[in-house]
Amino acid sequence: MRKFVIRRLIHLIPLLIGVSLISFFVMHLAPGDPTQLFTDPNVKPEELARIRANWGLDKPIIMQYLFWLKNAVRGDFGIAYMINRPVTEVIFGRLPATLLLMISSMLLTLLITIPLGVLSAIKKNTWFDNFITVFSFIGMSIPSFWLALMLMLMFSVNLGWFPAVGMYNPLLKNPDFVQRFFDVAWHMVLPLLTMTLVSLAGLTRYQRAAMLEILNQDFIRTARAKGLSERVVLFKHALRNALIPIITILGLSLPDLFGGAFIIETIFAWPGMGRLGVMAIFSRNYPLIMGIVVLSAVLIVLGNLLADIGYALVDPRIRYAKK
Amino acid sequence: MVIILLLSGCSAEKEPAQRRPIVLPKLSQADPEGRLILPLGGEPSILNPILSSDSASSAVEGTIFSGMVRINEKLEVVPDLAKKWDVSADGLVWTFHLRKNVKWHDGHPFTAEDVKFTFDAILNPKVNSVRRGDYIIDGTPIRFEAVDKYTLRAILPKPFAPFLVQSGMSVIPKHILEGKDINTAEFNRKPIGTGPFRFKEWMSGDHVTVVRNDNYYLGKPHLAEVVFKTIPDANSRLVALKTGEVDESDIPPKDYESIWKVPGLNIFEYDALVYTYFGFNLKNPLFTDVKVRRALAHATDKNQLISLVLKGLGRIAHCPMSPVSWAYSEGVAKYDYDLKEAKRLLKEAGWEPGDNGILVKEGMKFEFTVLVNQGNKEREKAAIILQQQWEKIGVKMNIRVMEWSAMLKIVDSPKDPKDFDAVIIGWSLGVDPDARSIWHSDQYPRGLNFIGYDNPEVDRLLELGRTTMQKSKRKEIYADMNRIISYDQPYIFLWYPRSVVAVRDRVGGLLTEPGPTGPFLYIEDIFVTK
Repeated sequence: MRKFVIRRLIHLIPLLIGVSLISFFVMHLAPGDPTQLFTDPNVKPEELARIRANWGLDKPIIMQYLFWLKNAVRGDFGIAYMINRPVTEVIFGRLPATLLLMISSMLLTLLITIPLGVLSAIKKNTWFDNFITVFSFIGMSIPSFWLALMLMLMFSVNLGWFPAVGMYNPLLKNPDFVQRFFDVAWHMVLPLLTMTLVSLAGLTRYQRAAMLEILNQDFIRTARAKGLSERVVLFKHALRNALIPIITILGLSLPDLFGGAFIIETIFAWPGMGRLGVMAIFSRNYPLIMGIVVLSAVLIVLGNLLADIGYALVDPRIRYAKK
Repeated sequence: MVIILLLSGCSAEKEPAQRRPIVLPKLSQADPEGRLILPLGGEPSILNPILSSDSASSAVEGTIFSGMVRINEKLEVVPDLAKKWDVSADGLVWTFHLRKNVKWHDGHPFTAEDVKFTFDAILNPKVNSVRRGDYIIDGTPIRFEAVDKYTLRAILPKPFAPFLVQSGMSVIPKHILEGKDINTAEFNRKPIGTGPFRFKEWMSGDHVTVVRNDNYYLGKPHLAEVVFKTIPDANSRLVALKTGEVDESDIPPKDYESIWKVPGLNIFEYDALVYTYFGFNLKNPLFTDVKVRRALAHATDKNQLISLVLKGLGRIAHCPMSPVSWAYSEGVAKYDYDLKEAKRLLKEAGWEPGDNGILVKEGMKFEFTVLVNQGNKEREKAAIILQQQWEKIGVKMNIRVMEWSAMLKIVDSPKDPKDFDAVIIGWSLGVDPDARSIWHSDQYPRGLNFIGYDNPEVDRLLELGRTTMQKSKRKEIYADMNRIISYDQPYIFLWYPRSVVAVRDRVGGLLTEPGPTGPFLYIEDIFVTK
């Protein structure tokens, strides 16, 4: 197992170099450059050329890449344009808000979808199952931006229960930790609700399908034939196996946890990574884009690795052999 | 649940709402601990006035920093850190007499050395300030000297009228930034200024808070704090205004009718220093003939554009200067909506209707593509409406919606001729009427005269306008220039938009008749009630 993990981690190195090389060139292929956003009638073209040169953008792209790579290897991802702060500092400034929202939403989703999916598989074709199915399809067809605005109108404007925007109440005077915690939790209710409602539907369907497939397997029949109680059959034998596809999906969605959700962050003015990433791309903030790309690449690989380890933990058929 | 959501989502709003006058609270009702919350459309990038170029940063900087002069609601230059100034007879030496007893927020005294330091920093090529070009005239930088502690002298290589407005650049502290790399200094996130408010905190992506500067030289501000909350989505800003999470919001045309029905708000309307235009690529053989450009202007129903795109919140434009500016004058060429005249002009220019109604001249079809930037709904709508309006005279216009950076890449490319036929875009204008960078022939192909306009008389007037000091003479010069440009019609000037902002009625001290700088111009006078 340990060997397997180490081997996978070593694979990460050429992979990251490849990803960064391709992204760097593709990024520069996109038309436009970062100084164009300064365009206003009073800014002279010579000044833009000077700033481009200060940023090293006048050098050949391959030189720019090697320079970037040399620094990146040492953990220096450069200074983000315009913001003029180290890329890592900018990213880590936004990461906590994103992690908080995304992890809470994922946990909440799992807490709801696993029982719902399992129940509707067990009670297949009953009114309960049909209700969940219809509910899931409605959930899948509702666009998140619309749901977000409707929740806002209902709970913020009409009922006044929750704040509509932001993560903090700026009027709190020197809040202590507990006050801050409740403040953030309060602000998180609507974005969290939106994200969960939107992702609920899909995962419930996956969980139901996985469970149904397992329940039709021979070993379940064997287990029942052995006279095991229905509880043991369902929760020990069936559920453990039915979690495998969910683990795959969770592993693949790890980068989303860090990437944030642009639309929801924008509507609820949540200070997360999604907004940062889109802003970086639209403003051609090359160092910032590269920082985010490398982070996402690392996370995708790690996510897959974690999923593989997760299989070994839940699936008795999968073991990473010692050679 | 879904059904409840559906119901709360739609409420019929058809009949126009009652307009009501602005009623502001009285200063006696002011809360000395009052805190004002203003929304920002984007996250400020950096809080250093010589480096930032986004409006969110400028909004925050406006409360923390101040400059030698400032702009009032009529766009006139008035004293700020400088009590008065004089200009030598030849227009080359400007002397600013600064206020005494002004202190930085950290208590350090403010002197002329700070002002000199600020301008020298902007002129330093290593500092990534886009403002550097403002202080270089024909290749020679302006020289700044601190004559004594409270006198600053600027020596210009040649007379340059726009310098007065530019001398109002916010001043940054020498005692903190001297010897540091200004681009990446810690200061840029924890700024120290001389303005009415001191920096307090910046929560990344969420808000920036500033607190009252009790030692402000124009008197203690009324508000205890101003909070700038980043809310990128326009609909969310409106929701936040309704829930009271912010005190102000811009109102897009689509929400203009319904906002009047929301109680507890004062609604301000004012002209923005902006115009939107349809720009011809003058190097394109379709558009070289001025008759064709005038014909298209005649075929443009600007009233329809304003009523459909802006819901009436705009004025028709005829020339490249905003009616808000002191340099604006009537008496420019106006091309009223007149399809007959348009057809006559096109015929005169040799265009005849061909098959399926599209005009033809010497085998060439009158068909071209206009570029508009993605995400700007107003310009996208305008393009569609123009497409239909011009179809009536046999002109076929295709529309290409592009991402902003990608579009600028085409428009700004140093090629001659450039790879576009026409573009719908806008200019936001400076306070000074000088527009050399937009119209001078030496600003093509490199520069902002990307349509390739070339008129020697306009070039001459542009030079004359910026080297003439007397305001009344400048006004005449710009009147001539605008007349010539409108006659040449290198752009079809479409509209000047009206800005609308709604402010909660607990906010007082606002300008009831704001200029383009908006009702919050004098932030030190603003208060909120208890």
